[in-house]
Amino acid sequence: MKISKSIYLFFIPGLVLYSIFFVFPTLSALFYSFTDWDGISADFNFIGFENYQRAAAGDSIFMKSVGNNLEFMFFVAVFQTLVALVFAIFLVKNTKFNYFLRALFFFPTILSSVSVAFIWAFVYDPNLGILNQLLSLLGLEFLTQNWLGNGDIAIYSLAFTQVWFHAGQMLIIFVAGLHAIPNDLYEAAKIEGASRWQIFKKITWPLLAPSATIVIAYTTIQSFQAFDLVFALTGGGPNYSTEIIATYIYSIAFRGYDFGYASAISVIFMGIIALITYIQFKVLRSNRVSY
Amino acid sequence: MLFRRFAIFIYAILILVPLTMVVLTSMKTLEQTFDNPLGIPTDGLIVENFINIFQEQTMAGYFVNSSVVTLFSVSFTLIFAAMIAFGITRLNDWKGNVLFALFTIGMMIPPQVNMVPLYSLILNLGLTNSLLGLVLVNISSTIPVAVFILTGFMKTLPKELLEASTIDGAGNWRIFTKVVVPLSLPSLSATAIFLLVMHWNDLLYPLLFITDNAYKTLPLALLDFQGQYSTNYPMLFTGVLIASVPMVIMYIFLQRYFVAGMTSGTVKG
Amino acid sequence: MKKWLICFIAFLGMIVLAACADESSQEKQSEDDSASASEGEDTTQLSFIHWRGEDKEVFEDIISQFEEENPNINVEMNIYPSEQYQSNAQQLLRDGSTGDVFTSQPGTQFEAMKEAGLFTDLTDEDFVSKFSEGSLSVGQADGKQLAIPYQMVFNMPVYNKGMFEELGLEVPGSWSEYQEMADTLMENDIIPVVFPGADIGPNQTMNSMMMNNAKDEDIFQKLESGEESLTNEWWVTTLEDFQFFNENGYFQENALGTNQDSAMQMVANEEAAMIATGSYHMATLKELNPDLKLGFLPPITVEEGEVDYEGIHTATFMLAINSNSEKKEEAKKFINFLSEPEIASQYANGTGQHLTVTDVEYESEELQNTAHWITDKNTRFQPRYLITEAAVEEAVLGSIENVLGGASPEEAAKEAQQIVEENID
Repeated sequence: MKISKSIYLFFIPGLVLYSIFFVFPTLSALFYSFTDWDGISADFNFIGFENYQRAAAGDSIFMKSVGNNLEFMFFVAVFQTLVALVFAIFLVKNTKFNYFLRALFFFPTILSSVSVAFIWAFVYDPNLGILNQLLSLLGLEFLTQNWLGNGDIAIYSLAFTQVWFHAGQMLIIFVAGLHAIPNDLYEAAKIEGASRWQIFKKITWPLLAPSATIVIAYTTIQSFQAFDLVFALTGGGPNYSTEIIATYIYSIAFRGYDFGYASAISVIFMGIIALITYIQFKVLRSNRVSY
Repeated sequence: MLFRRFAIFIYAILILVPLTMVVLTSMKTLEQTFDNPLGIPTDGLIVENFINIFQEQTMAGYFVNSSVVTLFSVSFTLIFAAMIAFGITRLNDWKGNVLFALFTIGMMIPPQVNMVPLYSLILNLGLTNSLLGLVLVNISSTIPVAVFILTGFMKTLPKELLEASTIDGAGNWRIFTKVVVPLSLPSLSATAIFLLVMHWNDLLYPLLFITDNAYKTLPLALLDFQGQYSTNYPMLFTGVLIASVPMVIMYIFLQRYFVAGMTSGTVKG
Repeated sequence: MKKWLICFIAFLGMIVLAACADESSQEKQSEDDSASASEGEDTTQLSFIHWRGEDKEVFEDIISQFEEENPNINVEMNIYPSEQYQSNAQQLLRDGSTGDVFTSQPGTQFEAMKEAGLFTDLTDEDFVSKFSEGSLSVGQADGKQLAIPYQMVFNMPVYNKGMFEELGLEVPGSWSEYQEMADTLMENDIIPVVFPGADIGPNQTMNSMMMNNAKDEDIFQKLESGEESLTNEWWVTTLEDFQFFNENGYFQENALGTNQDSAMQMVANEEAAMIATGSYHMATLKELNPDLKLGFLPPITVEEGEVDYEGIHTATFMLAINSNSEKKEEAKKFINFLSEPEIASQYANGTGQHLTVTDVEYESEELQNTAHWITDKNTRFQPRYLITEAAVEEAVLGSIENVLGGASPEEAAKEAQQIVEENID
């Protein structure tokens, strides 16, 4: 079927803005990654791949931030998906009470990350924070921790906050996915005497794969962008234990005024995300079944 | 099932306790917070922090700025993205796929990647300390996700319908406004909510482009409170409450749209 | 659809409401504007930017006095949170429309702004002579006075004098006396030093902790040129001192998670005898507990004969004029005004701080009692500010956090030294 050429006009307003304010700056970052620009002066030199060499060979904090970021992402992706899935199954029926609970669990998503950071700074505060106080009240004193001050666990405290922030959103995606599964499939399975686990394995999970793909993709991107949260809660400390790539870029660019190098790291950052997303889609797509 | 109930109970507590604490703490003085962080506020301080914050800050101004930026950002992102999604669906060939890829790849690029070139650009265009600059950048940054959601939905619309309209001699614009948009309303409202939350809460762009108090949005103002009140939790939480009120009210009234809407488009994609 | 409509209308309603509320504040502003406009066509708008949110009111008052004296100059003050100021100030200053008069911290920020050519040379200005000579050097480079420090901050622990008197404690003059003092405090269930490790503890306390371990004032310059190493004795000993404080209960539990406000509260409640921050917290402490009597008590970690430095000072909040500004003359007038003794005194007393301006009269007991540190004591300029690379500074601070988190001083020093080497050319 022939489509009128006027269809291309539909792209114009969006494409113009997107090109100017998104594509162009992103390509500029690529360009600057080969320079020693300090972000301020008008002149700079081309230094070839020097910035990339530095990142790859001689920057232990960068390595550490990549490690932290992967750890954070992995924890959030697994934990958040699991929580969202389990509670989606718990709350799948459209009862009034379940509506309420879904709405409640979804609630943190509508808050700003600054607000969430403030709230959890207070929860985790070792001196007056409610977490340690509650643990003491419950007689679980041995569990009290210096949640953000202890370099060994700070990244997990942040990851937990991230899950608190966004699990409700993922839960809703799963609920919608569950509702999209035709009921007769379940009934047929029940007639054939399938066990609960078999039903989950053979019907629910495969048919939920599209939702899972979305949940995991979103979670991954979100956890790479948790800049605000990390920045406001720990600022990357103590001793770089919560430094993630995004906060490291910020600190190189705006504290060290080494914008060329920050750009190189940004480009590597893009590469890492592309790679991870690619792997995820590959793995999850092979999982897809259609009935 | 006992485990089920227990798990739900724990989750509910985890959500409710921190939120309750925000409300309670905003009604206390700093001293009371230190003496008894978990306790109920004792005397009539209920509004004092609120009065203080309104006296010390131009809260109403931040509120207007946030509203204006959000309203325009959401509307225009929605319109432009719907047009693009329609274009992609309509083309339905390699060109459409390339365009889809071009737009959605933006979803995977964290905003920290291009923040400094973007800053230079905005500065050179004279758009710092301007709500217009903020709106333009907002639109550009959320077009990817909106295109992703809307294209996913529009691809599920029956092809026959579009083809029938074409045979009837309807032009693209007519098909778009009379057929596709009305059919896409659920997905459009879903995207609108999604964008609403994103733009209302956005911090990074105001942080980069706005330095004048007269143009600050709520999240940025909130972050500044941390600089001004340090870890004075009662004041911070008062700010948190004020900044969250509009979203909370909308959420209560449009809950079903928030919850069901925010995902219908994504899942069907 | 109906619900949507209602919400949309409600949303619009809220905006209108807020707009109305806002109008009153804007009206005020426009009144100000029109008032200044009517005073003449050639009113100059002077932009003044800094990071001291707590000084807002005092500055507003000073500015209105200045405007009265100079009716054709209108000062517009913009205050940024220090974090944001740190990262955005240079960008702001670049085009010259903002920050005709601006402020800079010594150290990395001064260095970076100097590199970017943002400073106007003030060497020949008359007002330079109104500042105490010793403090001026931090604002000098290549033989020019580029910025003038205004505030005099003492970055060393503040102690509860009254508590010491009650317990019959003396200010220690040596490491062994310091240990005795700490033991006595702990016997009385008082935390000797509360350390706000979640925010400013490390970057403030490193100075007084190292002052007598590394007496060479060029130590960080040497570190950055590769002549010195953090694995050498001066820094390892400093880290060992931190470890000692932490492991022997001189610092409170969970030192790394405690923030400034909690720390101040603990001193105000007399749970702790000292706070490891600096003079700038004295005013707030007095607000929290008006009965407190305060003084300085830096950690003395060496024996008596080894004590060369008695404390740490920082001449900071450096006033400067943007080289891109077109209103340099007006800007100079403003700095000159700030350096007048009466105005400086008003600022000092209003904000509870010491200043570098000579002839300032301090009113509060705290300021009077501690003013002698400016003249009588052998204090050392804050070593941290002599680090010019941000990455090096972070590595140094990271090693302190690492030790407080349980790492061995040698290990922490080694790790930090590696980061330093990666970041120096």
